[in-house]
Amino acid sequence: MKQKLSVLLVAVLLASTLTACSKEAGKSGNESIDETSVSNDSADALQVTWWGSQTRNERTQAALDLFAEENNINDIDGQFSEWNDYWQKLATASAGHTLPDVVQMDYLYLDQYAKNDLLVDLTPYVNDGTLNLDNVDPNIVEGGKVDGKLYAVSVGTNVPALVYNKAITDAAEVEIKDNMTLEEFAEVSKIIYEKTGYKTNMAYGTSQEILQYMVRSVEGHVLFGENRLGIESADELRPFFEIYEKGVQEGWFLSPDVFAEQTAAAIEQDPLIYGSSPETLSWVSFIWSNQYVAICNAANEDAQLEITTWPAKDATLSNFLKPAMMFSVSVDAANPAMGAKVLDFWTNSTEANKILLGERGVPISETVADEIAGLLSEEEQKTIEFVNDVVKPNSSPVSPPYPEGSAEVSELINQLTEQICYGSMTAEEAAERLFTKGNQIMGQAAE
Amino acid sequence: MNAIKKAIHKKSMAGILFTLPFIIGFLIFLIVPMGISLYYSFCRYDILSPPVFTGLDNFRNMFSDPRFFKSVGVTFQFAFISVPLRLIFALIVAMLLLKNSKMSGFYRAVYYLPSIIGGSVAVAILWKRMFAIDGVVNNVLNMFGIHSTKAWLGDTKTALWVLIILAVWQFGSSMLIFLSALKQIPVSLYEAARVDGSNKVQQFLQITLPLLTPTIFFNLIMQMINGFLAFTQCYIITQGKPMDSTLFTTVYTYQQSFEFYNTGYGAALAWVMLAIIGLVTLVLFATKKFWVYEGGY
Repeated sequence: MKQKLSVLLVAVLLASTLTACSKEAGKSGNESIDETSVSNDSADALQVTWWGSQTRNERTQAALDLFAEENNINDIDGQFSEWNDYWQKLATASAGHTLPDVVQMDYLYLDQYAKNDLLVDLTPYVNDGTLNLDNVDPNIVEGGKVDGKLYAVSVGTNVPALVYNKAITDAAEVEIKDNMTLEEFAEVSKIIYEKTGYKTNMAYGTSQEILQYMVRSVEGHVLFGENRLGIESADELRPFFEIYEKGVQEGWFLSPDVFAEQTAAAIEQDPLIYGSSPETLSWVSFIWSNQYVAICNAANEDAQLEITTWPAKDATLSNFLKPAMMFSVSVDAANPAMGAKVLDFWTNSTEANKILLGERGVPISETVADEIAGLLSEEEQKTIEFVNDVVKPNSSPVSPPYPEGSAEVSELINQLTEQICYGSMTAEEAAERLFTKGNQIMGQAAE
Repeated sequence: MNAIKKAIHKKSMAGILFTLPFIIGFLIFLIVPMGISLYYSFCRYDILSPPVFTGLDNFRNMFSDPRFFKSVGVTFQFAFISVPLRLIFALIVAMLLLKNSKMSGFYRAVYYLPSIIGGSVAVAILWKRMFAIDGVVNNVLNMFGIHSTKAWLGDTKTALWVLIILAVWQFGSSMLIFLSALKQIPVSLYEAARVDGSNKVQQFLQITLPLLTPTIFFNLIMQMINGFLAFTQCYIITQGKPMDSTLFTTVYTYQQSFEFYNTGYGAALAWVMLAIIGLVTLVLFATKKFWVYEGGY
């Protein structure tokens, strides 16, 4: 009797476990793509993901809550993470087809995601008016297109920005002007170190961006080309590594020990604003214009952070406007039309942009940009002025999105700079190695 | 109905039904993914697009990949230093806690605690902070007059030791196993030895250690396998920096799979790692008969 009972109980347990598992499998299989109708009774939660700093997370969540209110959605599940983790999570989600409804996309990965059919083509939504891009500069709309189809809407423009602490530069009696050259940058860093003891951090850990910037100084050259590095010889890479070498030899480059203790690319831990003594602090940071507000918020009161351009041989060729903060609708979205509405809300709603206040870059709709101009704080206005007055007139078109293999080459670049900073490699060797291995990686990745 | 009744009463049916939940779970969550992973190791797969069969390419590339060899070296270093240290500390503390004094229960719990919480993310982050330039370790050294602003995590020679110390700190689980084994050694053996005139050291070397060898062997195998599989601490504290001096193969596999999107290569790395661990375990088993005492008391 006892045996019969216990066996029956186990069988029941087994059966219920199996039904529970199959129910979950069934749910994800039921998502079908709803074409162009907007259903008015969608009370399901919408999942939106993005990456960002504390400031951005708060503002984005507030804007999304406003959207939820206006559109009778129960809840918008906003998930955010740091830049590095974000892409790893997104890649694994795409493998299991559990991508969130609206995903923040970047120029770096737009190509790969679009070509692998992971994003929804937004052209039908533009044509039927759900996504209104009338007030947006056509060049910006172009930035989100792959093979003629619109996959992402860039809700802000971003430019490379050198943020420096004026308090330190004033103490060292140096003047930082826009569009300075690499030599001037090295000179200034040396003087600042000699006079004040503050060191310099030239994009350590994210140095592929500044290398790309430098490579662009030669007309038509890009760092990541189609199955090769887009340059002619290792000589074009040498000046970049030489700055690190010089900095280490002359003592003004920030010791890599400081970075060993941090989370990479977290703006709140940038050596410009986070450190205990001048040897662990930097007077400058190589970031992007839409991080200016966040870094100002995270800095303490006596830092006076100003904004200027990254140093380059030819400012006009190097500088560019990057379509940033792209948002896309993923193919796993249960209601892509609602996703398109979120994008429309972001672009055209003045209320939303009053909350975001340009933290994600200059609003792309000119009408909205004008309307919020008066509400911006000093830092936000500085960012917009910098983009519009300093960079826009003096720049060239953005390079094509990075193809496959770029992640591995970027890691190689950072490893080589690490070795130079530890003194175990010369700039010459590093340039050679990057040129050979980089071409090899890009070639293999394209197969 | 009668047939079903008969079926339920058969003893083997009971056995099958009771183990079925485990077997199904084992198949679905372990065997099937392992099979798929084995397939991926022969492919080129970047997660975003379907896998493309390429044969032995991944394995060939592995043999010309210096970072792979460096990572295997680092992993071996980590395992072969941290595991013996761990076992030595575990044995020493187990022997000290052998007496059943009033506080021994409390001490046993306290020493066991690190091994439960130590594997967590929170402790790893805390550990990272402790060894920072302005962290607890440097502050304590300064208190004792040793002026230290050393960046423990930034120096290639000391970064791995930070991870080793974290692993050794978690000796609690081995200690408990040693404790129970020590209690099983009959006291009469010690009495007889004392009558014969041996001192404590001789008793330890001639009685305790030989009789403990089966337990030491068990702990060695378990801890060695865990040492090779260490991931969380390395990933959170150093991510392989500086200059790959702390790059465990598990972290390298993760990097290749999810940061560079060479997931096929990552799968190949994982299977090679499995082979290496299997080989080490095999060697340990083969040398067993030379030093493990198999007889009773």
